[in-house]
Amino acid sequence: MTPLPAISRAVATAGAAAGLLASVATAQAPRPGPSSGASRAASSIDIPFERFTLPNGLTVVLSPDHSTPTVAVQVVYHVGSKNEVAGRTGFAHLFEHVMFTGSGHVPYGMHDRFTEGVGGSNNGNTWFDWTRYYETNPSNYLETALWLESDRMGFLLDSLNEAKFNAQRDIVQNERRQSYDNQPNGRDEEVIALAMYPKGHPYSWQTIGSMADLRAASVEDVKQFFRMYYAPNNATLAIVGDFDPANARALVTKYFGDLGRGPDITRPTVPPVTLTEEKRITLEDRVQVPRLTIAWPTVSVHSADEPALVFLRDILGNSRTARVTKELVYDRQLAADVDASHFAFEDAGQFQLSLVPRPGHTLTELESAADSIIARLKRVGPTAEEVRRVKAGQQATFINGLQSNLGKASQLALDETFFRDPSYSFRVRYPRAQAVTAADIQRVARKYLTAKRVVLSNVPMGRTALASHADRSTVVTDPFTERAETTP
Amino acid sequence: MKIRLWLSTAIVVALPAFGGAQTPALDRTAIPTPGPLPQLNVPAWTETMLPNGVKLVVSEKHALPLVSFRLNFVGGTTQFEPADRAGLADLVTRMMLEGTTTRSGNRLATDLQLLGTSLDLSIAQESGVLAFQATSDKFQPALALAADVLLHPTFPAPALERLRGQALVSLTQMRDRTGGIASMVYPKILYGAQHPYGRMTTERTLNAVTRAEVVNFHRAYFQPARAIVTVVGDVNPDSVKIAFEKAFAGWSAKGSPATFAYPAAPASAARTIYIVDKPGAEQSTFAIGTVGPPRSTPDYYAIRVMNEMLGVLFQSRLNHNIREEKGYSYGVFSNFAFGRGPGPFMAMGDIVTAKSDSALIEFMHELEDIRGKRPPTEDELAQAKASLVQSLPASFASVAGVNRSIASIYLQDLPRDYYQQFAKAVTAVTGEEVVRVARQYIDPQHFSILIVGDKKRIEAGLVATKIAPIVELNDRGERVNAAAVTP
Repeated sequence: MTPLPAISRAVATAGAAAGLLASVATAQAPRPGPSSGASRAASSIDIPFERFTLPNGLTVVLSPDHSTPTVAVQVVYHVGSKNEVAGRTGFAHLFEHVMFTGSGHVPYGMHDRFTEGVGGSNNGNTWFDWTRYYETNPSNYLETALWLESDRMGFLLDSLNEAKFNAQRDIVQNERRQSYDNQPNGRDEEVIALAMYPKGHPYSWQTIGSMADLRAASVEDVKQFFRMYYAPNNATLAIVGDFDPANARALVTKYFGDLGRGPDITRPTVPPVTLTEEKRITLEDRVQVPRLTIAWPTVSVHSADEPALVFLRDILGNSRTARVTKELVYDRQLAADVDASHFAFEDAGQFQLSLVPRPGHTLTELESAADSIIARLKRVGPTAEEVRRVKAGQQATFINGLQSNLGKASQLALDETFFRDPSYSFRVRYPRAQAVTAADIQRVARKYLTAKRVVLSNVPMGRTALASHADRSTVVTDPFTERAETTP
Repeated sequence: MKIRLWLSTAIVVALPAFGGAQTPALDRTAIPTPGPLPQLNVPAWTETMLPNGVKLVVSEKHALPLVSFRLNFVGGTTQFEPADRAGLADLVTRMMLEGTTTRSGNRLATDLQLLGTSLDLSIAQESGVLAFQATSDKFQPALALAADVLLHPTFPAPALERLRGQALVSLTQMRDRTGGIASMVYPKILYGAQHPYGRMTTERTLNAVTRAEVVNFHRAYFQPARAIVTVVGDVNPDSVKIAFEKAFAGWSAKGSPATFAYPAAPASAARTIYIVDKPGAEQSTFAIGTVGPPRSTPDYYAIRVMNEMLGVLFQSRLNHNIREEKGYSYGVFSNFAFGRGPGPFMAMGDIVTAKSDSALIEFMHELEDIRGKRPPTEDELAQAKASLVQSLPASFASVAGVNRSIASIYLQDLPRDYYQQFAKAVTAVTGEEVVRVARQYIDPQHFSILIVGDKKRIEAGLVATKIAPIVELNDRGERVNAAAVTP
């Protein structure tokens, strides 16, 4: 059977975001190497760009690349689920869907008509810290894309339609069902975040939000959210591909120049997150195979430790040679699968390790085996070869990413949003990542992979005894699901 | 809590209206006129027949120091995997990465990572591939590792048991998802377990695989006579030829080209709804369709255009109606598989449990209407064609994209100027042809309708639609009750 195509207008799921953050994280100029290809890579590979700001506060980044006759337009708004208020979780993402229902001068359907309908594409993604919208078009449709994006930035409310809003609210509830509620392990991140962050903390709920809050959202909420956050001074526009910069600058001024500036936004101060003790929780799920996830609070994209945590991730999991995978899947065969991840948000971070047991082995066994491996890494640190492996992978990923106009647009716009520097990833973070040493990795392992963590056992319904150290684990429910409402 | 308080306050701040325009007002109702369409530049390539029967295809692309390598094989599981060994080819490709005569599996993985690359090795229904992408300075060492994996794997017996164990866990996890169950059961419904397109991997077929079968499959399958090497990127044909012949020096001519002789698909039965029960499911996974035409059909282009407006574009009829208008789903699609044989046509998607009956009615409406009751509008036709033709340059943006595009010409046995001719053929399709192929290839009277969902909450509604009798299957595709529930 043909796999289902990727779905447009999707919430950035944990998996997708991990990919995105990885690409941001590895988007750097490679350093000089001995052979011809690598030295060419070092001397001439960069992402040339120009940056300017319109009087209304819109920041614009232009990066021409004429290798393919296409152009990517991306607008990143500095607002995400983090900015939601109590009782309206999931709203930033629902709002993203509303942005595709037409605006003052662009009737519903026109956006697709002048992207997909001319051989291009469009989509939007919402995350904790940002919401982005993009079009990739044949290069002769650049102006059309700017017309579309500027109209919804300025005139969304002029055509707001209750029926269209209601349909999108149903669609987003179906998105939640499809990607979270009806997926094995789909609610794991929700209960981990509730255990990790203090009550009411902006990262304590997921971008998809709760079913009850989604149902409660109204057209009035759309108006308030739009006026607060959807203004040029809270947005970055990146254009990458086959275009003339002078012409693009003129078009940007033409379409975005007369949009009014929005209010200044005071952003929440988010205190660093630490746990005072280990939290052990059990979630019952419609699964046959249990899964253990260990999650540690770490640091944000702004931390100097962030690159070393990415190295730590790849040294522990995600390849055959990674320590936890090698020992538990290959050598001792206790586990069928191991997955390691690091999510670096704007104001917080999470390091996670997930383990699926082979039949005949328990989550308790897996936890204790993983802990021994981590303890050993903290004692001795990684080998030089382990560090070189990760660096080689990051370099290849960077050069590969340069082939995508959309990928570059995304990186430039997000770096501007977070760091006020579109080149942050490849001119600041990359040298930092290249300088990561075995000692740095050992140090961050010791600093962050401590006993103050969340340990989640996802187990088949009614089988809470399968949890790791079940006697010390608290059975929790997920308050965000419909299931929680219908089957009390 | 402070944060919450702040946000609640901030959101109710009254905002001034937008400031007035600085320049003469822009007429935003005017849709910008696009400039001329950029010219389509199809990448060129060279083709060389090597003495051992391998076809070597090279396309230069020097924008970045990158190389994409594919060793493609014509023919796949439906030609080479025995019916009672479904899953064997997948185990073979995993076993090939478990070590060679000179490298352990762990050493091999380490060496690949140090080169910043990885091997993508897989066998699909009608083709197989051993592929990697590397920076151009790492091309030759990466090629040597690919050759080592293909020519000198050792197939250690303990690794087979480990991989089998992992595959069995994956199979169990797949049955926890409504979509996983649908993807396993639907081919069997359409083609029957005996047809190569209808086979299903089960615990039984996985447990039956022996190491000797893995060794034999590898020997029989990976033959030069059915191989096409496609290399794209910062290279030139001469150096690639030298490098390939050196790395694959021991690979001698053997085997014969694959043949694609499929048995006839089973005669189409009367329309039936098949339910697989998934208690508690929030959504039902739908698959609605029939046996479809092969890739070689002369109606290929008209079908592509028709399907684009039926269920590919975001504003296609199915997605516009069922997602955007009704809100029953996060997205629905339709697809023609277009194999060498008669691959399936399917409309599919995940539907909220409570609307399973209403969604089925809408699926049936759209699939019926495209057959003439509601012929395509001029704009539907224009968008469907443009989306196919004008998206071509984007598929040539990356070295891997160019490589896939070129490889598919060889794997599907298409003319060398296929991409140059594509626009012409698509543009020539008329609205009348769209209706004709819809009538010919979408056959609602014989739809097999699979719905995997919470039976106790969806069955009565589905019966009430009177669309078809209902047959219940288990998650292996076997009948649960002898008698069908008739409406």
